[in-house]
Amino acid sequence: MLTKGPARKVTIFINEDAPHQLTPLHDAVMTFLMRKGISGATATKAFSGFGSHQVLHTPAVEALAQHLPVRIEFIDTAEKVDDVLPTLYEMVSDGLIEVQDTTVVKHARKGSKPDPAVAHQRRDAHAKLLRVFIGEADRWHDEPLYEAIVQRLRMMDIAGATVYRGILGYGAKGHEHKQSFFHVSRDLPVMISVVDTPEKIGVAAEAIETMLEDGLIVISDAEVVRLVRSHSQENADGGKTAR
Amino acid sequence: MAARLPAEILRIHISETDRLHGKPLYEAIVARCRELQIAGATVFRGLEGFGEQAELHKHPIVVTVVDTAENIARLIPELAGMIDTGMMARSTVRMVRVRKSA
Repeated sequence: MLTKGPARKVTIFINEDAPHQLTPLHDAVMTFLMRKGISGATATKAFSGFGSHQVLHTPAVEALAQHLPVRIEFIDTAEKVDDVLPTLYEMVSDGLIEVQDTTVVKHARKGSKPDPAVAHQRRDAHAKLLRVFIGEADRWHDEPLYEAIVQRLRMMDIAGATVYRGILGYGAKGHEHKQSFFHVSRDLPVMISVVDTPEKIGVAAEAIETMLEDGLIVISDAEVVRLVRSHSQENADGGKTAR
Repeated sequence: MAARLPAEILRIHISETDRLHGKPLYEAIVARCRELQIAGATVFRGLEGFGEQAELHKHPIVVTVVDTAENIARLIPELAGMIDTGMMARSTVRMVRVRKSA
């Protein structure tokens, strides 16, 4: 299962009409990758191209002969890629195979069962509670700072964050935050609270610190009794992985 | 500038309807914190809650204060005299104070 972080990307350049036993090679490669459980692969037909034979293949010349280049790309973990490469090496008798290191930024699956390998495994764990005190009017690159912080935390796979709006307060800036009936623009106090493992809270605190102009971050120890994953469907499997 | 200090967080649970000398208790608490030069205080309004006597609080209020242990210790007896029914909880925190614009 592909997760966020370092991965390998493989690109294979072959010809559309290259055969493999009795089937087109690109079909054979795609079928092989799927059978091996590669997380995904895409085959695209090129508009034009040339290879080591130094012959330019363009639609005008090659459309009827089905001799245009095909590019197959897939991304998976280094282990998976190492697993399939020897066979691909044998299969591609005329073409090119390229491997590069890459970073998976997002890998989302809609409507599928959550993978137990990436489930939040926190039962009765020692955790940290992080609170950030800022103002509602604080901004980060033209968007509200509290939204920017929550977005950043989401990207870091932090288990959860909650934004609270206070009704009164004062703090780092010394001025009073108070809701006034006549003021359209308001700067009420805002607190974001986050609970996660000590390591992740440490990373999150550093990230938030760079985003704050004025503000306060406090971290305290917390005992997590139970964390339920936010997807609704795992209630169906009896909460086996959810607790 | 970011100062890293051991500190304490004090949460005061009261009701929005609590009053002191005719004005809301939470306002009086924040004003007292300012007088005592406490670093900061924030008032949050809850949706619903219940307290020690199992009475339903329609409008729970939490005042959150972060400061050094000494200042929190100085604050607690002051607030204890102001609060009729309520609860205070303190815990230790590690504080990161960010102040770039000052």
